[in-house]
Amino acid sequence: MTNFVFRRLLLAIPTLWFIASAIFLLSKLMPGAFGSTYLAEQEAGYYSKSDVAARDRNYRQFLQTTGQDQPLFYFSVTSAALPDTLHRVFPERDRDFLKKLSWQYGNPDAAARFFRSLKEMEADLSETERLQVKENLYTMYSHQEPGELQQALAGIAAQLPANSPYQSEVLANGSTLVVSSPGYTYLFPSVQWHGSENQYHRWLAGLLKGSLGTSLRDGRPVATVLGDAIGNTWWLLLASILLATLLAMELAILMVRRSGRVWRSTLLPSLFLLDSVPLFVLAMLLLVLLANPAFLQLFPVYGMGYYNAYDQSWLQQTSQWLQFMALPLICLVLANLPYLTNQFYQAMAAVAGQDYIRTARAKGLPEHLVIRRHMLRNALLPVITLLSDFLPALVAGAVIIETIFAIPGVGRLLIDAVLARDYPVIVGIVVIVAVFRLLSHLLSDLLYALADPRIRSHAS
Amino acid sequence: MKNLWHITRELWQEALAFRLSMLYLLLLAVVALALPWLPLGYGPNELDLEQINQAPFDWVTKANKPRHWLGTDGLGRDVLANILHGARTAFAISLPVMLIASFIGLLLGAMAGLFGNRRLHLRRAFVVALLIGLLPFAYYGIYLPALLFSQSAAYSDFILTGIAAVCVSLPLVFVLTFLFNQLPFLNKKIHFPADELLLRLIEIQTSIPRLVLILVLAAIVLPTLLALSVLLVLTFWTGTARLARAEMLRIRELPFFEAAISLGFTQKRLLARHALPHLLGPVLVAFSFGLAGLLMLESTLSFLNIGVSTDLVSWGRMIAGIRTNTAAWWLVAIPGAVLSFTVLALQTVSYYVLRSLQNKN
Repeated sequence: MTNFVFRRLLLAIPTLWFIASAIFLLSKLMPGAFGSTYLAEQEAGYYSKSDVAARDRNYRQFLQTTGQDQPLFYFSVTSAALPDTLHRVFPERDRDFLKKLSWQYGNPDAAARFFRSLKEMEADLSETERLQVKENLYTMYSHQEPGELQQALAGIAAQLPANSPYQSEVLANGSTLVVSSPGYTYLFPSVQWHGSENQYHRWLAGLLKGSLGTSLRDGRPVATVLGDAIGNTWWLLLASILLATLLAMELAILMVRRSGRVWRSTLLPSLFLLDSVPLFVLAMLLLVLLANPAFLQLFPVYGMGYYNAYDQSWLQQTSQWLQFMALPLICLVLANLPYLTNQFYQAMAAVAGQDYIRTARAKGLPEHLVIRRHMLRNALLPVITLLSDFLPALVAGAVIIETIFAIPGVGRLLIDAVLARDYPVIVGIVVIVAVFRLLSHLLSDLLYALADPRIRSHAS
Repeated sequence: MKNLWHITRELWQEALAFRLSMLYLLLLAVVALALPWLPLGYGPNELDLEQINQAPFDWVTKANKPRHWLGTDGLGRDVLANILHGARTAFAISLPVMLIASFIGLLLGAMAGLFGNRRLHLRRAFVVALLIGLLPFAYYGIYLPALLFSQSAAYSDFILTGIAAVCVSLPLVFVLTFLFNQLPFLNKKIHFPADELLLRLIEIQTSIPRLVLILVLAAIVLPTLLALSVLLVLTFWTGTARLARAEMLRIRELPFFEAAISLGFTQKRLLARHALPHLLGPVLVAFSFGLAGLLMLESTLSFLNIGVSTDLVSWGRMIAGIRTNTAAWWLVAIPGAVLSFTVLALQTVSYYVLRSLQNKN
């Protein structure tokens, strides 16, 4: 048995690694690093008195501490028409400009040199000079034709005193850039080797040490952020799965009885009907009907009610928790009930025709004993595997329910992280969910073996 | 196909629920198609700020303005127009997505079921050469066009990279295959584990719940309709693939299929002429079940406002309006009812077809 568990765990590791890596790499491929909008606010706000240079410095520091200034992977394949040092250029606005320059003129070296000297010159400008050349700089950054660039360069040369060393450098580099012509260099790939100093290596090493990185939004470790959220989701999921299973079992027992014809003819169609109502519609409907001053205010609407939780006994705490969780629980149970009841009923009906059931009836056992003692245990076997298959629907349901009822759990965290593009948190949630899924599969296999002696002897 | 038509006609005469569902779906399809010619007073994104949060069947109306039959939302958008246009959006997304996903799933699943792990033989040299040939293809066929697109290059450049993609990778594969064949280690035939590969792929994809996967990927790509559709296709093909594989394994053991194999037909003919007609029924049922799931998922996403832009007319967007004004029950009740009835109708139809298919076998 341990052998079997061990093999399953070993087999699951590549899957986990692949999924997490794919999400991590994909998330890094997209433009728009977190916090770049902060830099894009050129004007100092009412509250932030910092100037552009200080913000730029802060941003660079932020990138350095989070490791985002490193190359993405061990190697990179780019077009030969792009400079090698592109990934080191920040912010992204500048990176796009350099990319465009070298693409347009087909000469990455000249483009990089021109870009560097331009930046040096800009840093050297005084405030009045900056105002003078503002227009020409803008033309330079947004130009389409080489002529425009030449014109802007000439304009700057006329406006600034000629003794500045940077200025002459810009002019020289600009003229070499303009004369180079776009060829077909972009057809050739250029491969670079970065070694272990890259973002992926850093992330994977952290992951192996058990660290999921830090959240981009508030700088807290992802593990802490997840830890705060996971408790609520866990209890919600556990309570709803227990309730739904118990309820589904009792309903199936009601229907499988010989006198259960009425139940069968009313419950099955209504469950079918319930199954076609999407979860979020159901939740909104219950919210509007039962937690709304305009109709019936039976339940508190949003959140968890955190106030004065310290000086209460656990009983009071639980009752308060229940008060806030009642409606979410009802929603999750109702949404999952049709599927579960149907599966239980199918399993029980399949067992009901067996010989030993007829024997039990023939020896005069009362109906409820026949069902609970003889039918139920055998019918439960196939349902065990179903429960683990059913987990994705439950997790998806938790995401929706937590968002609607504002419960601070993992699902809500996921939505917030997605909206803020907080990738470390997203990757962390993916890893957690995949591990959870894996463990539940394992658990269901173990339970199955425990419940059925035939499998146990087979496996060992 | 003929078989299916018979089933439909039989069910139409027998089951009232089937007839009602079909009628409802047909009505919805006709309305969605004829929408441009319907005399609607308002467009779906038209704001009527003078009449916000109007309850339905409230016959007080401003003069010289068309009536809001089913009320308005918090921005004065007409509920009726949104529902009708929402039906159009829902089917415009889910039908093509499900068609493509079913096609991919059917193809991969049927091939995996037919070839199994031991029936497809390939030379090692060819497999290795193909893998190496994929590298230049990825560079010229995917990376460069994406780069060209981001730099808004001319058409001639796209054509050039396309030609380069074919002209570099194809000869490379041929030459490498020839060269590798000279080596004794690579000149062996191996079994291509098609079945194992497919199962592994499905396992990787389903190790994360579908909604979570879509939410995560939606954070990465831009919120456009095309990107969302690609995401949905990528997550929806697994169900059909699993079903097609299981059915294929069953069909392969049937006497007529064994006869076809022993007659020495090619694999292609076996697949197209003998297996596919039997696969179509179950796949069609999975198609309409999947369509129902897709409708729910699409409206959930637009309810959460993730992966879709806010100006996309959708039932989910209308329902999301209730969060700003919880007294406006009609924003949940009406679109929610339409959505639920559509899902119910699709599920009823597929339930009946499935039952009669199972009775036939």
